Amino acid sequence: MTEVFLNGILKKVEKPSRYTGGELNMRVKPLVRDDGSKRARFALCFPDVYEIGMSHLGSRIVYNVLNLRDDTYCERCYAPWFDMETALRENGIPIYSLETKTPLARFDIIGFSLLYEMCYTNILTMLDLAGIPLRNVERGEEQPLIIAGGPCVCNPEPLSGIIDAFVFGDGEEVMNELMDAFNDAKSEDLSKRELLIRLSAVKGIYVPSFYSADYDPDGNFSALNKTEPSAPESIERRIVKDLDKAVYTGDLIVPYMSIVHDRVALEIFRGCTRGCRFCQAGFIYRPVREREMDTVVRQCDESLDCTGYDEISLFSLSSGDYSHIHELVPYILDRYEDDKVSISLPSLRIDSFLKDDLEKIQKVRKSGLTFAPEAGTQRLRDVINKGVTEEDLLRSVRDAFESGWHGVKLYFMIGLPTETDEDVLGIAELVRKVSREFYSMPKELRGKGLRCTVSASTFVPKPFTPFQWEPQIPTDEVLRRQALLRNALKGIRGVEFSCHYSETSRLEAAFARGDRRLSDVLVSAYRHGARLDSWDEHFNKDAWEEAFTENGLTVEQFANRRIGKDEPLAWSHMDSLVDPAYFIREHEKAYAAVTTRDCRKGCNGCFGARSLSVCGRKGGD
Amino acid sequence: MRLCVVFSKGPEVRFVSHLDVQRLFQRAFRRAKLPLAYSQGFNPHPLISFATALSVGYTSRGEYLDITLTEPMTPEEFKDAAQKALPEGINIVEVFDLGDSRKSLTSAMRSAEYTVKAVFDSPVTYNELKAALDELLGSEIVVDKKTKGGIKPTDIRPMVISADIAETDGCTAYFNVSGVLSAEGGLNPEMFMNELLKKLSADAALETERTKTVLDRELLK
Repeated sequence: MTEVFLNGILKKVEKPSRYTGGELNMRVKPLVRDDGSKRARFALCFPDVYEIGMSHLGSRIVYNVLNLRDDTYCERCYAPWFDMETALRENGIPIYSLETKTPLARFDIIGFSLLYEMCYTNILTMLDLAGIPLRNVERGEEQPLIIAGGPCVCNPEPLSGIIDAFVFGDGEEVMNELMDAFNDAKSEDLSKRELLIRLSAVKGIYVPSFYSADYDPDGNFSALNKTEPSAPESIERRIVKDLDKAVYTGDLIVPYMSIVHDRVALEIFRGCTRGCRFCQAGFIYRPVREREMDTVVRQCDESLDCTGYDEISLFSLSSGDYSHIHELVPYILDRYEDDKVSISLPSLRIDSFLKDDLEKIQKVRKSGLTFAPEAGTQRLRDVINKGVTEEDLLRSVRDAFESGWHGVKLYFMIGLPTETDEDVLGIAELVRKVSREFYSMPKELRGKGLRCTVSASTFVPKPFTPFQWEPQIPTDEVLRRQALLRNALKGIRGVEFSCHYSETSRLEAAFARGDRRLSDVLVSAYRHGARLDSWDEHFNKDAWEEAFTENGLTVEQFANRRIGKDEPLAWSHMDSLVDPAYFIREHEKAYAAVTTRDCRKGCNGCFGARSLSVCGRKGGD
Repeated sequence: MRLCVVFSKGPEVRFVSHLDVQRLFQRAFRRAKLPLAYSQGFNPHPLISFATALSVGYTSRGEYLDITLTEPMTPEEFKDAAQKALPEGINIVEVFDLGDSRKSLTSAMRSAEYTVKAVFDSPVTYNELKAALDELLGSEIVVDKKTKGGIKPTDIRPMVISADIAETDGCTAYFNVSGVLSAEGGLNPEMFMNELLKKLSADAALETERTKTVLDRELLK
């Protein structure tokens, strides 16, 4: 591809630096090693635009893990925006890697990060723009190996007709095992099928073509059968036991354009001990593993030095739960005070006691505060095991207001199991109290005007949660409850309401719990023009409706059906490490509105018989 | 103390927008651990200001910024330390001390010179180009300019100081364009070139480099 040619195209597209690469700390490696052997070429693809993909910490880690290997060169590629897709097609330019501008089809391995179900069509866009057949059965020996990893792999079935092999769980170790197996197979000149057999022997790797599915007369999934004798019965999620020893991001690439999370992200721990029953991340990243404070501080130093960033995000699923949080925050603020480095704490729980820390953070730079009560009444918060009270929320916002904040975001969900209108109206009541909390403060003590953003997303039942059997409420009911809430929020001072478009939530539910047949639906939807579905303004409802109809399926059968607890689940062959019986127990407790304690306060036995080996605890009481 | 930094922007970073260039320098100077002075207030940022923006897609051999430091450094020390931290494509050409001057670089800016490479769809001759250019320069050049109040017809001829053909070779031609550039605004050289293309009834891919930004350095003393 000539540079002048590409320049002509880039001049005409929006945000051209999405497609240029060349950022600081981008890895540059010769394709051939000193000994004359070729490096394995890996294209790490993120099925969304650059500014979102570059904000994903997991991909930054995998990029470093792979590039630390002398036998591998890992490059990056992101989904093009509409204008660039059109420009590439019109000019017959195949999609290319940012590092060396190499067409994707020339890579040995293409790996996709699966963070969100609504990004699946972007995978097809990228394969299509690479000139690679979309379905795995249509790809021959000469085509790259297509793999995928990330949280959505916990139900890989909707992509089973597209992807050759899935990596389940933490990538730090298994990516190396995968590359070893790949390089061995290459040096032995094995066929793709033989390579896949080798890969399926690696713990945590799932090769979907080695299984086939059955459906019952009602058209529901009934069984998954092995077609390759050597394939494992179940695929165990991989976990990295010691984060202090694990490879981290190395020298972070510093984007030119502004990205969604444009700061140093330091993962202080992985996993979460709270056990909110709707939260997939809370189950599929168990057990909790913390980084030592020394490791965090060392990584802070290194990351700030190599990037020049002036902001650090202390990142985890619930940063206030970090054992050393009250030491770490002031320590970091002091350490970088002269350099004007600020801290942000995402995923703060309402019940974290952080007033002093917040005041210190405020001294350097004001960042937004987000709280997620999720539900409006105590009963429903107990059902979902959120474990926070109205008192917790009001105390937290009071602390924040007293520390000078005047903007807070409040996250809620609509359509949670057992929700009634009373629960929906309870959201408005709670918000009203937050608003009062602000305006009851003396004028001279509070900030300008309250900016309280209330957002209500639609509950999506997810695999490997106690709510995995639950139906999503139908679209018209979602819309009715949204209207009910919107109406109830009217007139509350300083409050702004935003809610998620329900059609994407419904598809998300279908793809989260769907089976193999959705691969065909996905390809149909792509052919009918579905693109970048997570961008509401571009969501193509007709394309999806046609796709489901064409394949004799409905969104409802996946999204809105209650699955019986005795029914086989399309994802039961994936072993999340959490005992399936634990989800049943938690589901029963949810319906009894009985909470489960934070497992930092005592083991709840979620790993069953494997407690000791997975988590290091004996399990149960 | 306040230093003036003249830098070039190469093809590697031609698509990096002005806002992103500003951020790029802030980060690079932080990596270089230079003694940056910061603004006061809730969102402190390093005191760096740019004389002017460069359009996305252009390269340049002479962009200007000024930076305030809390400790004295010689221009040479600054240049060495800063260059090491800058990404490929950004090179420091010159650094000089602004002394006690409080004048902004923008207020001293007068004009800029550009070379525009035009790759035509079909070969063009020097004479064809020359005739069109002379005709264009011989009268008003009214273009539709996007302003806050909507699209407004504007004569850009007064902004053009000079324009001539440097070289032609088959489909490719190089032009030297010099235009006004000040705090009040300036010539957009590709807008001017597009008017020339209209005169020629031709289509060409343009590549523009700012070769020089002219500042009245006397004013900065």
